[in-house]
Order: sequence, then structure tokens, then C-alpha cells
Amino acid sequence: MSLSTTIERYRAELRHWLRGLYHGLITHPAYEKVEKEAEDTEDTFMLACFPEAFGIPSPVSYYTAELLPYLEDEFDAWERRMWNRGSLLERKGQQYHF
Amino acid sequence: MRTHVFFGGKGGVGKTTVSSAYALKCARTGIDTLIVSTDPAHSISDVFDQNFTDEPAAVERVDNLDAMEIDPEAETERHLMETKRALSDQVSPAMVNEVDRQIEMAHQTPGAYEAALMDRFIDVMRNSDEYDRIVFDTSPTGGTLRLLSLPDMLEGWIDRLVYKREQSIDLYERAAIGNEEPRRIMDGDPILDRLTTRKERFEFAGETLRTNAAFFLVANPDELSIRETQRAIDELQSYDLEVRGLAVNRLTPEPDPNENGRGARFLRDRVATERERLNELHENIDPPVVAEIQTRVSEVKGTILDTVAEELSIDVDQVSPDTVSSG
Repeated sequence: MSLSTTIERYRAELRHWLRGLYHGLITHPAYEKVEKEAEDTEDTFMLACFPEAFGIPSPVSYYTAELLPYLEDEFDAWERRMWNRGSLLERKGQQYHF
Repeated sequence: MRTHVFFGGKGGVGKTTVSSAYALKCARTGIDTLIVSTDPAHSISDVFDQNFTDEPAAVERVDNLDAMEIDPEAETERHLMETKRALSDQVSPAMVNEVDRQIEMAHQTPGAYEAALMDRFIDVMRNSDEYDRIVFDTSPTGGTLRLLSLPDMLEGWIDRLVYKREQSIDLYERAAIGNEEPRRIMDGDPILDRLTTRKERFEFAGETLRTNAAFFLVANPDELSIRETQRAIDELQSYDLEVRGLAVNRLTPEPDPNENGRGARFLRDRVATERERLNELHENIDPPVVAEIQTRVSEVKGTILDTVAEELSIDVDQVSPDTVSSG
């Protein structure tokens, strides 16, 4: 095995690790943040649709009820997030993975 | 040509009488007419001595006239069943119970009745091509004003929901790394689809009310009724709905001049008071008085309805400000 191929192999290995590090440190947290934001917006949407789940009457609940059959995933995830959330600080802090 | 004609006013002033008489008048001139009651305490059936349901049915012994009484409870039930059917088609059994509870709850809220009424109301306006004139006998002022303000308000709500939904889907699409499938996709989203359909219906209703509807208020010659009329005119105006005219009902007939008994004196005094109120209506309130209808000896139905119809000077062919002659 020549020296150049060995160097080439090391460099490939290094590139692989660097990409992994970049993904893990930068890309993924960023996308995770966007996804969290998406979930938060969806929670607002769900709350606007079904405020009577919290005892707040809504003038449009009759119309939003017909959306429920198509909101299965959202509804499930929404309830889960509502139950799991200790505080807004906790939710926003999750991205730092303490 | 305005197709939809609404009669409103305080409770008990004679909205059903005046609207039935107007519908009869239209039908007698050969216009295909439908009279619709949106008042939960339906009384068209009583006027025509015939049972009407949520579906238009021909009025016996009168050509060109159909009648219906909107039944919001039946509509709520139908909507509930439809939603539940979609639920069992779409949702996994594990989630059904959870969602089911939410759906039941939504159909028991105070707003459900109004929403169902609104839905039927829009249905009637949309699917009424076979009629040239639709006369609405509405519920007492408060309820009707609220109903008429609903399209705008609901449109605003739906707008907000659509905006939020779009925002979250957009974020989900951005959060999908590389070739990963986003958790929600904007294209063909059933939620946005349904919300938009609803919005279009409300837009249609709002547009129809503003451009193809005429409003008349029925009043009695007494102070309470006149004040309520003024308030109703103001409120309708705030929704951009213009009142075309006032129909004054239950005027006391004047006794002959040679009569001087206790009854005659009472009637004369009563007539004087009413004349004062009537002047007030003529002078202080903008829309013209288009009918002055006297109290009848018995309930207004059958042939008496025809005589009332003759007293209405609301134009039949064309209900627009320039052709309404004041009475």
C-alpha cells in the first residue's frame, strides 16, 4: 500500500467524521429547532380549533369538529405535548440537550 | 332584482303575518316564491294551516308558493353523524374514543345551534335557483342580527385558522432534512381544503346578503317597538345591510264619528296615540313606511291574509329603493 492511498483513506475517514460532527452539532439542531417551531405553531392552531378542550367556548367549534377525523396524528401529538410540557422554558430549552 | 327578502323585528310584532302576506302577494303575481322560516318558534304552519318541514313543500290552494321551516336540531344531528362516519373511516380504533368525545362536545356548545341554522340558511340561498323570490320570516331582532353578522365573523376566524395551519405545514416542510418525507404536506392537505370550502360558503353568504337581499322591518305603533326598530336599523347598517322599508302592523281602526260610547272613545284615544307614534316613524326614521296594516278581528290566515297582502305597498317585481313606493 502506497503512502498516498493511506493518506487518501485517512482523509476520507476524516471527512466522514467531520460531516457527522457538522450534522450533529449544527444541521440537526437547526432542523430540530424548526420542527419544534412547527409543532408549537401547530399547537396554537389546535388550541384555536378546540379551545373547549380547556373549557373555553369557541364560536367555530361546530365547524372545526368536522376537521377532527383528519387530525388524528395532530390531535394525539397535541395532547401528548400538552401533558408533557412542564413549562415554556423547559420546552424552549430542550434544544440544548442538557 | 333582489331575490332574497327578509322581514325582521321585535318579538310578536307580526313578522310572520307580513312576510306570509308578502310571499302570497308575490305568488299571486306569478312569481315562483319560497317562504322560509328561520325562527325556532315556527309559525308559518299556523298561518297556512298546513304542516311544513325542513324541505320546501307546496302550499295548498296557492299556486307558485312553497314553504319551509328550517330545523337546526335536525341539521346538527346530521352534521354529527356525518363527522362520526368520517371519523370511523379515517381514525384508528385506539384514537376514536378520544376524538369522539371532542366531537360530541362541539355539537353541544351553545354556538352549535346557530352554526347549524347558518348552514341551512346558506344551503337555502345556494340551492334556490328554481325560485325567483325567497322570503325569510326571521326570528326576533337579536337572533337575526346575530345570524346576519355571522358570515363576516366566521370568515375572520377561518382566515386565522388557515394562516396558522399554513404556517405550521410550511415549517414542517422546511424541517424535513434531505430526502426525508415532511410530517405534513401543504399540497392536498385535507384540513386546508375543508377550511377553504367553509370560507367560500361564508363569503357567498356575506356577498349575497349585501348584494342580493332586501331587508324590511316590521314594527307596531308603540314606543318600545319603535326604539327597537331604530336600533335594528343602526346595527344592520353597521353590517352594510340597508333597510328598505318599515311595515307598521296592528294599527287600531278608527270608530265612526257619530259613535260616542266608551269603546268608541277608547278607540279614538288609542288611534290618536298611534298616529303620534306613526308620525315619529315617518319623520325620525329614514327608511320609508311601506305598509300600514290594521288589527284584524281574528287571526290573519286564509282570506284575511289576502286582504293584508293588498295593504302592502312593497313592490313585488323589483325590490330596490327607487321602486318602493311609500304608503
